[in-house]
Amino acid sequence: MLNTNTYRIMFKNFNLSKRLLSLGMAAALVSMGARVQDDDVTPEEEEELEADRWVTLAGAFMGENAGDGNGGTNIYAVSFEDAINPETEIDIFNNGEPVKSNRTARLQVSQDGGTLFNIAYGGENGGEYSKFDIRGGANFVQEDVTVNISQYAGTSPRWSKLYNGDKNGIAVNIANLAANNSEEGNPEEEFKYYRGTATVLDLDLQETLISNYKTYELPLSTEEELAGHAIFRLDAPVLNQAGDKLLIGTWMRKYNPATGERETEWDRLGTKTLVVDYPSLENPTLITSTQADGDCSGYRSNVNQLADDGYIYQATTRNSNGSHILRIGSNNEYDNTYALSLDDALGLTDTYVDAWKYVSNGIGYALIRHGEEDQGYVVRMDLNQKTASIVQGLPDNPDVRFNQFQSFLVSGDDLILPISPLGQDGNIYILHSQTNQVTKGAKLINQPGNHFIGAF
Amino acid sequence: MKGMKITLLPEYIRIGLITVLFFSGLASQGQSLHAAIVKGKILDSGSNPIPGVIVRIKDSPYTAISSVDGSYQIKNVPKGNFELLLSCMGYQEHSKNVVVDVEEAVVQLDFLLTESTTDLEGVVVQGLSVKSEIETKGFAVEVVETQKAALQSIQTNDLLNRTAGIRVRQNGGIGSRVDYNLNGMSGNSVKIFIDGLSISTYGSSFSLNSIPPALIERIEVYKGVIPAHLADDALGGAINVILKKGVVNNLSASVSYGSFNTLQSNLNAAYRDEATGFTTKVSAFYNSSDNDYEVWGKFVRNILANGRYDYVRAKRFNDAYRSVGGKIDLGYTNVKWADQFFLSYTGSDDYNEIQHGTYMSIPYKGRFGTSQSHVLGLTYLKEDLGIKGLDVNFNGSLSKINEVVTDTVKWNYNWFGERSLGLNGDPILRPSGAQQGAPTMNHIDRNVATFRAGASYEINPNHKLFLGQSYYSMDRDEQDFMKSAVEREFIGTRDLQKSITSLSYELDMLQSKLKGSVFGKYYYQGIDRMNPMLVEENGTTSRVEDRVKSNRNTTGYGAAFSYRLIGPLTILASAEKAVRMPSEGEIFGSPGDNIVENLGIRPEISDNLNLGFILGDFEHRSHTFSFSGTGFIRDTQDKIIQQINPRINDAVQTNPFENLGKTKSIGFEGQVKYTFGNSFRAILNVSKFNSQYNTKFDSNGNVYANYGQQIPNEPFFTINSSMDYTFRDVVKPGSLLRLSHYFGFVDRFYTTWLEIEDFRTPRQYINDIGATYTFPDRKLAVSVDLRNVFDKQVYDNFAVQKPGRALYVKLNYTIGNFR
Repeated sequence: MLNTNTYRIMFKNFNLSKRLLSLGMAAALVSMGARVQDDDVTPEEEEELEADRWVTLAGAFMGENAGDGNGGTNIYAVSFEDAINPETEIDIFNNGEPVKSNRTARLQVSQDGGTLFNIAYGGENGGEYSKFDIRGGANFVQEDVTVNISQYAGTSPRWSKLYNGDKNGIAVNIANLAANNSEEGNPEEEFKYYRGTATVLDLDLQETLISNYKTYELPLSTEEELAGHAIFRLDAPVLNQAGDKLLIGTWMRKYNPATGERETEWDRLGTKTLVVDYPSLENPTLITSTQADGDCSGYRSNVNQLADDGYIYQATTRNSNGSHILRIGSNNEYDNTYALSLDDALGLTDTYVDAWKYVSNGIGYALIRHGEEDQGYVVRMDLNQKTASIVQGLPDNPDVRFNQFQSFLVSGDDLILPISPLGQDGNIYILHSQTNQVTKGAKLINQPGNHFIGAF
Repeated sequence: MKGMKITLLPEYIRIGLITVLFFSGLASQGQSLHAAIVKGKILDSGSNPIPGVIVRIKDSPYTAISSVDGSYQIKNVPKGNFELLLSCMGYQEHSKNVVVDVEEAVVQLDFLLTESTTDLEGVVVQGLSVKSEIETKGFAVEVVETQKAALQSIQTNDLLNRTAGIRVRQNGGIGSRVDYNLNGMSGNSVKIFIDGLSISTYGSSFSLNSIPPALIERIEVYKGVIPAHLADDALGGAINVILKKGVVNNLSASVSYGSFNTLQSNLNAAYRDEATGFTTKVSAFYNSSDNDYEVWGKFVRNILANGRYDYVRAKRFNDAYRSVGGKIDLGYTNVKWADQFFLSYTGSDDYNEIQHGTYMSIPYKGRFGTSQSHVLGLTYLKEDLGIKGLDVNFNGSLSKINEVVTDTVKWNYNWFGERSLGLNGDPILRPSGAQQGAPTMNHIDRNVATFRAGASYEINPNHKLFLGQSYYSMDRDEQDFMKSAVEREFIGTRDLQKSITSLSYELDMLQSKLKGSVFGKYYYQGIDRMNPMLVEENGTTSRVEDRVKSNRNTTGYGAAFSYRLIGPLTILASAEKAVRMPSEGEIFGSPGDNIVENLGIRPEISDNLNLGFILGDFEHRSHTFSFSGTGFIRDTQDKIIQQINPRINDAVQTNPFENLGKTKSIGFEGQVKYTFGNSFRAILNVSKFNSQYNTKFDSNGNVYANYGQQIPNEPFFTINSSMDYTFRDVVKPGSLLRLSHYFGFVDRFYTTWLEIEDFRTPRQYINDIGATYTFPDRKLAVSVDLRNVFDKQVYDNFAVQKPGRALYVKLNYTIGNFR
């Protein structure tokens, strides 16, 4: 209780100073010690949130099985003030607004918290982008213009909003991954490669239309391709600080060229990221890390994030020795002198990052599990010191899962996220990145089989 | 048959076209009963037995129906004078006064009926008779008549759809994929049979999509509880299609043409040589349709280059269907050594374009499937084989089925059938390589062997035993020619064997007031999986075949009873512990989807219960009413589901299928029939159920919010009404004009767990009308059908529009009983 009151007092103070700072973005950036940068590209949100900023909470209903999230998604908006207030009780599943999506909606929010962007995942309207004006509570007003990207990116597209003032979203796809599959390829000939056709699509979030798209083959080295390696999926696009390159995570697969079967265990290649020019989407190139061998495509949230130091940090998954944090410099190449191994830093084995978020001053938080367990933990990472530790004071319950987690909020130095064991009530938690303090926010009422997938 | 036979002179009734030859006598061997038995055979003028004749004692509940060999039997007839009434399709009604003056007598009365040339309405009578025989055995069964529909442009699936408790869900026009929902159970819980053999024997080209009603004698729909002679692991019910048997000489042909360039034709001929009993039957069908009907509404939109929608009205352009098939039976009927012995060949071929996937919002071009099947069959049926009361039947077939799915067109198309162009004016590649998924030219070859054999023994008229055995084996090879030669070498094979042994005991007691059966079934299933593998040994790699076999067996049992409580009220009750064996994918998992195998998986079990009544007929002057209703429960346990795996995005293997789900369906259906003389008939049926998610507690003991929630995407409330009125002597004396009207209502339902309006179907009201004119010579009949009269948007499946208003004309030509 004391903690909370302290926080609220702090909050009010922050709020006052925030109002002064918000007079100009440059001032804010200077105060964070960031370098001067392109107007269009702000690193991850780093400003204090206003007390009346909407915080939209999302929860996924179960379908046939507890925790599958296949029953649809409900959203509910409260003010930031209420979200961090432990006196508040929020019942998303009973009072929220359903999002029109057959399966878990893939949501993104505007930087001011006032607009929600959704691309329906699967179903009759799969690939349909829609925009909602957030009015508080269950009141979300959908803009009447929609746009459908399914012709380019499929009805279950992977996409991410760019942090360039909510101007653009990027959707990506790989089609028809098959042997000798290129314009001039012939499946009857001797095996040469497994290759799909990649699509990168630029969606204008403001005008609500597709503004550009490009398709290309993404060959690996001849040797890698002959061994059966291939890019299976693209995801988690992020714009670099200069705003002239998109970096897109990859998910690798390997086939046995002698049988055509997918292999489940293999000697992985170094983590690869696709780099294309922005906004032309031309000149696709692949860069490879020597520090880790996992995929950097993430799952339901973006694992590639631009930090205030100008680096893009990325979390790997399916890594042979546990998830790593890697970074890509402003030259759009891997910094192969850098890696944070979570196995090493935590003293665990097979750590797996479900989602992570960069907060400020080199501190980020990762939602992980490790070993054979399904239980989720929150880990505070010091990217500069390459250290990590499990955050204490959060629900320690085998039913805590983060596998479908989509979104965190950052307010200044704080990370805000909902945590609950599957099917049980939980809370919004405020993690203070610089002090490692944990504060409880609003109570979240849950229903059996359902789970919370993020704060937007 | 030891009684003395007395032949009476033929008796002419009315126009004098009926010849009655009747035999009577007293059995020297008395039965241990207190009342008499009236039995005998009913033959036509060519000495062929007539099945399906209703024989009843006037103003009494004593009724019988003649079986395939023309024999009938009425038990427990009390002493006295009474009038015996006979009625049957195509034959004039006949009555005979009988005196039973000795108790415990067996009265043998054989009849010879002559074909009627005036009373085509008799068609109705026969349908009802076989219908009522089956429907009063205690099972929740619906017998669908095909005779009248056969003259109209109506498909077999339409007929089923109009029946209480069945919802046929078709993914578009004629020929498109169909799913059957019986009382809330669907998918592989509902099994379909043709003459008692699994439909998978025939392949998709010989299916309810292609077989016209004219070739079908009747369709029996068993809901929840399936009699012992129909053996399969049908958890929710069975649909048994009985094809016409060629015991009577006839030739009929019809051709129908109408909207969407739809042509449907069939030919059916049977010839029996009276001297030798040699019988030939030929039937054939040809169907084709462009299915280019117009679609519109919120699911029909062209996506512009910039992603915006352009809502359009458009004609379907990749939905053509063509099927051709035929069956030849050669054999003997009603000879000394067999009631029926047939060797048969069934061949069929179809071509089916696929316009879209689950939803019509994305149109496909160039995706199509073809299939061919060749089936050799043997049928043997004999009553009283060797000893009196021992009936045997055998039905076996060998089939070769080839199916090909082709999908190689890699561009996006819009609803005008044009390639969609991207922002730069170039065509856009489909996001997964071809129209529906990756490009494919998948050839699936199946060899199927099926047989079923049954023997029943009538211990005495009250007790009967039945032993049945069915066996099904299928081996499947798959070759996708869009895959590389190397990949094709490493595609595994799956062989399935299934056998079901069933034993039942039937009883018929209290003067046929109580009828029933108790049965048990033993199911066995074996699956051989062969996956080719590369093995390295001494530095050389070689291809080896990794073979695994998974067997399981289980038992099920059930019972069905009917009891005629008072007068016209009969109570029906049936229950079964029904079984569905796990599929290959559920047992072996799928390495491609990271699903691990579970060799210990158990069958799904469902406790199915039906409780119903038949009330009627009530006759008042020319008005006849009857009512029936059934309440049902389907309580499914051990439902095979895959639990969510939090590591779904992990590279490691994930959860197998497990026996963890529970669902429950509770509902009722009711039917009212009304007839006025033989000119007007109306049937109204209502079906409503609540099919609910039945897993109650999560791991913390809390009740799931969707416990008891209606399972999405199931039409749960339907009403069907059919009416027809027959005018006589229109234009020409002796002609018939039958006007019919069908009305269907399907209530709205949610299609996803999320109950929001956007994912809810509209309420649907469907009206069809038809007129059939039968010429006085009864050889030619012409029908005109107007379907979906008000051109409403109709949906079986969410976001899949069915045809709007459509007009069909049909010519039927029949030559009955040529010699």
